[in-house]
Amino acid sequence: MNPRKIRDNIWAVGTIDWDRRLFDELIPLPEGTSYNAYLLKTAEKTVLIDTVDPPVQDQLLHNLELLEVEQLDYLVSNHAEQDHSGGIPAVLERYPEARVVTNPKCREMLIDHLHIAEDRFEVRDNGESLDIGGWTLQFHTAPFVHWPETQFTWLVEEKILFTGDFLGSHLATSDLYIENEAEVYVGAKRYYAEIMMPFRKMFGKYLDLIDDLGPELIASTHGPLYRHPAFILDAYRDWISDEVKNEAVIAYLSMHDSTAEMVHHLINALIDRDIRVKVHNLTDVDVGELAIDLVDAATLVLASPTVLVGPHPSAAYAALIANALKPKTRFGAIVGSYGWGGKMVEQLTALTGNLKLEWLDPVMVKGKARAEDFASLEALAEAVAARHREAGIL
Amino acid sequence: MQRYVCLACDYVYDPNEGDPDSGIEPGTPFEDIPDDWVCPVCGVSKDMFEPE
Repeated sequence: MNPRKIRDNIWAVGTIDWDRRLFDELIPLPEGTSYNAYLLKTAEKTVLIDTVDPPVQDQLLHNLELLEVEQLDYLVSNHAEQDHSGGIPAVLERYPEARVVTNPKCREMLIDHLHIAEDRFEVRDNGESLDIGGWTLQFHTAPFVHWPETQFTWLVEEKILFTGDFLGSHLATSDLYIENEAEVYVGAKRYYAEIMMPFRKMFGKYLDLIDDLGPELIASTHGPLYRHPAFILDAYRDWISDEVKNEAVIAYLSMHDSTAEMVHHLINALIDRDIRVKVHNLTDVDVGELAIDLVDAATLVLASPTVLVGPHPSAAYAALIANALKPKTRFGAIVGSYGWGGKMVEQLTALTGNLKLEWLDPVMVKGKARAEDFASLEALAEAVAARHREAGIL
Repeated sequence: MQRYVCLACDYVYDPNEGDPDSGIEPGTPFEDIPDDWVCPVCGVSKDMFEPE
């Protein structure tokens, strides 16, 4: 991407990663992503906000050349994660006079992860400002969106908020600003679900801060910019709330169809009771899609055959991830089959301690299900419906 | 006494143990900890804790 003007003397100078399909060796990126960086020029100072992923850092340096940046005074780091900080060493080498501006925690992490020299920093902590000659940058630390050192940078006079990863979306698009809210909504929800959700209880304060600042433009480190901030702020308020929806996530797999037969019976029983069902086959699960569905659902059902005494490893994987993401799910159930014995229920329960689910009675069947087992599955569906009714969502 | 959990990292403050490295003696109820105390594991502020 070439530099794109946002306003006079403000440019987007980052890169679009059209081809990237995996992040953190874990998260599928069906729509690619971008690494957003921003350049500000005043009569006195030139300031870069964040860099890009190291494999594409030459594009950033090229963009700075295109904008005839001969001298760089400040490099603001909102986040130490390497897809945004990784280009800092190369930028500092190209511009030896540049000083890295960030909070104390981020400074520590940039030194740990990138070995930036300790004397290259200009430290600004929460609430402190930097006068860049005509414009003021004000810094607000915002721990755990999504690392301990994350912060927002507020360009006071232009009312632009640089939020780092917060409010971002993994979406490679030629749109600098959102043109299609529906398209961005899913990408932003996936991003929230995969990375931000574990810390959702802390976000109310940050959303209140953003409301108080009243930005005209929100610029994150991934995805298109928000000219209508209410769109993404309202979405986050919805996602972080404690309200759950009349949905049941069914995460299952089956080896010889015994578990699948039970799961399909349960799915039908839930649908019969007007419960929305989100089904994920764990054989080749897209953890992003699973995470999106965990944002709102009231109920999670884990279904697996018993393998070597415990759940199938793919079911354990899903349980581990769900546990780490700490969704607001309230009710859970375990369904499965076994040939001779096992501890699947105990092991899956132990893996999901963070979820604080109210566990409904499991349905574990020796061999292939019989009439009484289908009756148990009906009873489970009825129990889910009862919980959803009590919660006022059905 | 009520235990409190850190919303960011799940560290649990147990009043019976306190947080002596930060000068919080064993037996200190959470409410009595100074407002500038931070989570000893991840560093977030005291207002990011809730009852366990």
